Amino acid sequence: MRDRLLTRWRGILLSLVGIVAIIWLAVTGQLGLYIHPRYYEFTVVMAVLAGVVVLAAFSVVPGAGEGEGEHDGHADHEHPPAAPGPRRRRDTVWAVAAGVVIAATVGALLIVPPSTLTTATVDQRDLNASAAVTDTGATETLVGSDTSGFTIKDWASLLRQGAGEDYFAGKTATLTGFVTPDPDAPEDVFYVARFVVTCCAVDAQPVGVPVYLPGWKDSYAVDSWVEASGTFGTNPGTASAQAIVFEPAEITPVDQPAEPYVY
Amino acid sequence: MTSDVLPPRTRAPGSRAPRSRAALRGLVVGAVLAVALLVLRAVSATWGADALPDRIRDFVTLSVSVVIESLPFVFLGILISVVVRFWVPDHVIHRIMPRNPALRRVVISLVGVLLPVCECGNVPLARGFMMKGFSVPEAMTFLLAAPILNPVTIVTTYQAFGWNDGILIGRIAGGFVIANLVGWLFSRHPRPELLLTPAFEEACRVGDDDGHGHGRAGQLTKLRRGVVAFADETSTMLPALIVGSAIAGAIQVGLSRDVLTALGGNPIWSVLALMILAFVIAICSNVDAFFILAFGSTFLPGGVVAFLVFGAMVDVKMITLLRTTFTTGALVRLVAVVALASLALGFGVNLLA
Repeated sequence: MRDRLLTRWRGILLSLVGIVAIIWLAVTGQLGLYIHPRYYEFTVVMAVLAGVVVLAAFSVVPGAGEGEGEHDGHADHEHPPAAPGPRRRRDTVWAVAAGVVIAATVGALLIVPPSTLTTATVDQRDLNASAAVTDTGATETLVGSDTSGFTIKDWASLLRQGAGEDYFAGKTATLTGFVTPDPDAPEDVFYVARFVVTCCAVDAQPVGVPVYLPGWKDSYAVDSWVEASGTFGTNPGTASAQAIVFEPAEITPVDQPAEPYVY
Repeated sequence: MTSDVLPPRTRAPGSRAPRSRAALRGLVVGAVLAVALLVLRAVSATWGADALPDRIRDFVTLSVSVVIESLPFVFLGILISVVVRFWVPDHVIHRIMPRNPALRRVVISLVGVLLPVCECGNVPLARGFMMKGFSVPEAMTFLLAAPILNPVTIVTTYQAFGWNDGILIGRIAGGFVIANLVGWLFSRHPRPELLLTPAFEEACRVGDDDGHGHGRAGQLTKLRRGVVAFADETSTMLPALIVGSAIAGAIQVGLSRDVLTALGGNPIWSVLALMILAFVIAICSNVDAFFILAFGSTFLPGGVVAFLVFGAMVDVKMITLLRTTFTTGALVRLVAVVALASLALGFGVNLLA
């Protein structure tokens, strides 16, 4: 009975930890660090619903353990009254494992401060490889439109699709993103980058606009957020595969925006 | 039997008071704990995340994102499963379902149209169905078909691909055929109950949850048992979900994606590479079409179909969730059949497209 009670609390505790984490992220406007905005309402509604059931469980489950379980017939079937030796040891192992899972969950969801993905993940996922930035149809519509509302993703697709120097001549842009080095020419070129998210952070794809600025590392830390404004021009460096780079007139360090990903 | 199936008036006066006091105490403990956790979160959020090495930090972020993405679906699945178990009378299900086993599985594979829960929410739901008397092959058919044959998945796949290259048709038809194939194969098993973990099998045998109580007291009992069932199901599902998410996060940090995407243009390798990608990335079937669309032009359609079918049915997170219910041996066979069938489907689409 006692084991059964502990087993049951495992789910209630884990649910509570998850619900508290979701509600807190939603209230502080940080759900966007993990999931796409189209899930906000669903996630919050389910968290609140589950929260009501979990609170109800706090009032019902102790009673179920003391009285209801015995005659309910279905509450304590997992454990026969007198557990033999090996079974008891196995139960202990599982209880310890459950404790570890709960502690790790509290650590990951409630103690580690929420954060965006870093350059470590950019390295794993090939910058600008995703066809979100190489879809020709989308690029064609981009070419004719007003550039003032362009995101890093839009600029990256134009660069990737080879919109050409003619197109970029005279265009100005203001880009906000995090700094990540160009794998081919890490000394001279960095990207102002963002992650594109379709569902949740797991599927994040990095996109970025290359900036030619030798010795940039002295002024800007990798993974720090900057706002760069300027124009485009041919890449004076030879090491990088990029033909056209951003030529910033001004780069200012900024705080990480509330919505760090693009969609 | 207990005092609580009796009408409240005949209840002994003393029995109610201690229980309601205990209930109140429980409620207070729960509320206090929730507030304490909120305070912990608010305090720890002010610490810088920079103290952690990048990789660890990304591992945590990725795993947490899988948990936060799928937790609402798991809650929804558990809530629906509890409702089905306690509030849908057995005879309703029996009356609707055809008698012929193959036809039954065909109907079951379309149940997802009514219950558009994501694949992770389907595991608790399938457990609820089995406690309600579904056979093991039927539950498997439901588990494999529902993530694909549901309105949300079909609409998002259509939005992403339209009618191009037979991707939409391949996904719907392929998902339907594979789910029924697996159901049929496992129905040949002489003792399907051996495919279940002992703990769950035991729960099924005892689980006559129809709740024969009537009237207000009966409803209250049902409500109470429903809440207890929610606690039991979360106890089984959430540790599996969390371990599965951690594995998915760890693979994401450790495995470079370039290798898999580089293979995507080859007719044979694209199918295999995308199935591996689907297995490790573990995203919901409702949105995986958008994800793979982002790679669309680099991959052949057969690979995309294999990704969309295989990934909706099986992935690392699903395996840990399914392991709560099925034995390892059953899972190995399940995954092998689904993988081979998806492979054949992918090659077929590549040949035709």
